[in-house]
Amino acid sequence: MSADSTAKTTPPPVVQVRDMDFCYGTSPALFDINLKVKYHRVTALIGPSGCGKSTLLRCINRMNDRVPSARVTKGEVLVKGKNIHDADVDLTQLRKQVGMVFQKSNPFPKSIYENVAYGLRIHGEKNKSVLDEAVERSLRQSALWDELKDRLNANALALSGGQQQRLCIARAIATLPDVLLMDEPCSALDPISTLKIEELMHQLAQEYTIVIVTHNMQQAVRVSDYTAFLHLGKLVEFAPTEELFTNPREKLTESYLRGTFS
Amino acid sequence: MDSPEPPPRPPLRTLLVRNRKRTVLGMDPQQVIKYFFGLNASTAVIVLVLIMLFLLREGIDFLPTYRNELVTYRRAGLEFCDIIDKPLKEHQSLSSSLRQSVSGSLDTLGKTARDRRDAAFLLKNQAEEKATQQRETLEQALEQAPPPAADKLDILRREQQKAAAVAAASLVYPDLFTAAEKQQLQTEFAALTPEVTDLPPFLQTLAADFTAKDHEARTKFEALVTAQEEFEEAPEGLQEVLDELKEHAQETKEKADEFHVLETNRQRLLEAAAKAKNADEKASLTEEAEASVAEPVNLDERTKELTARAGELREQLENYVKAAEKASASLPQEAGTSAATTMLADVRAKLPVHVQEMRDAALQLDQWRSDKPVSMISVIAAFFFGSQWITNSSWQDFFGFVPLLTGSLVIALIAILIATPISVIAAIYTNQFASEREKEIIKPIIEFIQAIPSVVLGFIGISLVGNLIKDFSEVSWLQWVPGFPIQERLNMFNAGCLLAFMAVPTMFSLSEDALNNVPRAYIDASDALGATKLQTVFRVIVPAGISGILSAILLGLGRVIGETMVVLLVAGNRIAIPDFSAGPGVIFQPAHTLTGIIAQELGEVSRGSSHWQALFMVGIVLFAISLLVNWCARAVARRFEPHKA
Repeated sequence: MSADSTAKTTPPPVVQVRDMDFCYGTSPALFDINLKVKYHRVTALIGPSGCGKSTLLRCINRMNDRVPSARVTKGEVLVKGKNIHDADVDLTQLRKQVGMVFQKSNPFPKSIYENVAYGLRIHGEKNKSVLDEAVERSLRQSALWDELKDRLNANALALSGGQQQRLCIARAIATLPDVLLMDEPCSALDPISTLKIEELMHQLAQEYTIVIVTHNMQQAVRVSDYTAFLHLGKLVEFAPTEELFTNPREKLTESYLRGTFS
Repeated sequence: MDSPEPPPRPPLRTLLVRNRKRTVLGMDPQQVIKYFFGLNASTAVIVLVLIMLFLLREGIDFLPTYRNELVTYRRAGLEFCDIIDKPLKEHQSLSSSLRQSVSGSLDTLGKTARDRRDAAFLLKNQAEEKATQQRETLEQALEQAPPPAADKLDILRREQQKAAAVAAASLVYPDLFTAAEKQQLQTEFAALTPEVTDLPPFLQTLAADFTAKDHEARTKFEALVTAQEEFEEAPEGLQEVLDELKEHAQETKEKADEFHVLETNRQRLLEAAAKAKNADEKASLTEEAEASVAEPVNLDERTKELTARAGELREQLENYVKAAEKASASLPQEAGTSAATTMLADVRAKLPVHVQEMRDAALQLDQWRSDKPVSMISVIAAFFFGSQWITNSSWQDFFGFVPLLTGSLVIALIAILIATPISVIAAIYTNQFASEREKEIIKPIIEFIQAIPSVVLGFIGISLVGNLIKDFSEVSWLQWVPGFPIQERLNMFNAGCLLAFMAVPTMFSLSEDALNNVPRAYIDASDALGATKLQTVFRVIVPAGISGILSAILLGLGRVIGETMVVLLVAGNRIAIPDFSAGPGVIFQPAHTLTGIIAQELGEVSRGSSHWQALFMVGIVLFAISLLVNWCARAVARRFEPHKA
């Protein structure tokens, strides 16, 4: 894993969640969450279905804003030390800082080039050479450049499922975000595509901070440096991955890992 | 089920199953139900096929019928006359331009004098009108056989004088006159009596003023006036010969038609006689048939009489051309006003073209043959590319389809250009920005438009929109709009506006559906990249829904092209190709349409006539256009639907 980039100093956490409660209308979904996502590390969120791990992920880029009546009722979320609910926070800038990849690949029905350039274009970039450069860099980082460099103008929907998902990653990192959120990015993919995405995550961790939600505990072990286990809206345990999987402190974690409940 | 060896004792269950299996008309009930449903589903297809067959059956004979008519048109020599007659029509428009130019020029000098004269005479009429009653009483009294007593007449005279004075005082005198002149006029009007027929002196002066001014003007623009008169008179000789020839050709055609009718009638009677069983009936039918004998017309002989005069015609034509050219050469460069000068220049530019056309026509006279066959292709071309739709004409009917098609297309284009932005923007707003409450209000209201009967929209167009457009076209700061001020209240733009209104619900609902069908995931992705709502809408949602929107527009177009009532009432129904030289202002001209012409004329023509068949041909074309538009809409929807692939 990204051993070389971390050894120097310990930078402040990129994302910090402090004593956060979150509600959908009147029904609370998350209780008293405390989480520190470390710089250039992969943090995995695991837990049974409906435990709130996707909700927690979506709190980080305020995607929950689109759900009417959903709100943070207590505590705060800091990205690079800045409370993202402050009045002076520009949502478009926040989302430029915090990229996101979804469960199901969702490239736009546009060309490959336009897909990757989209994020830059909406933030006002018009210079063709800057766009070209960003597209090439993003596609290289997501290991698509060699496969696709000759058909950048082809429709993105013509790609295979795995390629589409990597294209979505390329699209998300084109704006050089500080944090990349991934919501079960491999759940709709075949094992080989999954493997490719996982390899990609190792490489991306050298340049980006990644938070990933996964159902697959093996995957959490394979890709992450830290793991958080959530259960019924509570953060049960947060520890370095190796420690959490080999030597969980909480009983609940242990029984979940053993598969006693799901 | 049917095993070769049925079990010896079937168990109870098998027995029940077998009992239940009944047949209807020798078929399994399942099958019957399936066919029943299938038949219902295919009704639409069957009806569509029947409609097509019916249209074809009525319309397909049009081509041979029209061909026969065109053959008669040629053989009777009408075509021969039209060779000269058609280009000669240009003379009228040139002549009218010249006339306008002359009157414009004369006005520069004589306008004030004329206005003063006209105003004074108008005032005189008004003064007389106001005192009509007293005036008429006096007149009647004067005309009585034994004239009434002098004192009685005096009373009447006094009353009349009083009324005239009151009338003269009540008039509003325009500022064309000075105060003194106004006073003068009033005195003169007050003094009007039926007993003096001479004009009052001041009025006489005014009239004389005008005559003098007019004379002055005519002397000043003498060259122009003479040239105009010469040009006006130039075609007289030609027209005379042509009229004689036309009359001759017309007569030939009528005789040929009459012969044709009688001959057909005779054939029919003879056939009936051959079939008649009863001897008496047979005899009477044969007799009738013999009575219906007509003198056959020797068409060739008669057209030869026409062509024999080709030399004379050519000579007159040459005379005309020379006279016209001479007149044009003597036209002065300058006219009285700039508008008149422009008109002169226009005439001067158009004249060589006209002369050339006339000379070409003269050459065509020689090549014309009355026995040249009329090919089917030329008949088809005459229908599809013919620029004249003339029916019930005493000269010749033409069924050219282009004026109707242009009318329909221009109106549809206007409607689509207006309706597309409105309905698409409304759909985007409703789908993406409106609150739930707004949606609940907007959608039913727009969909309600569909329920308005089109005839109601038609009279809204006649009574409201027409006047609105007319009023707007006269507003001074809108004069930059091409075509303003408009001449006709009922025009293509008016019809286009109303059709746009009718197309909006279709286009709005389908566009809204298209936007609704854009996958949620695209919006998620765009939002997560930090796009604003507007960016998401215009960069992702609209492009992804574009196929649905295009297909909505095409279906709207189909609706607009097929709409009848509104265009019939509002489009102005002038059967002529709109004058596209007017630029974009062409939309304010009246036109007729494919649908309108069928609705208007089909009820009045006799069944089976060429006109009837021509209308069915129009119907067939209309049907084909609608099918094509709908097919395109489907093709577009399929072509750009990546997220459904």
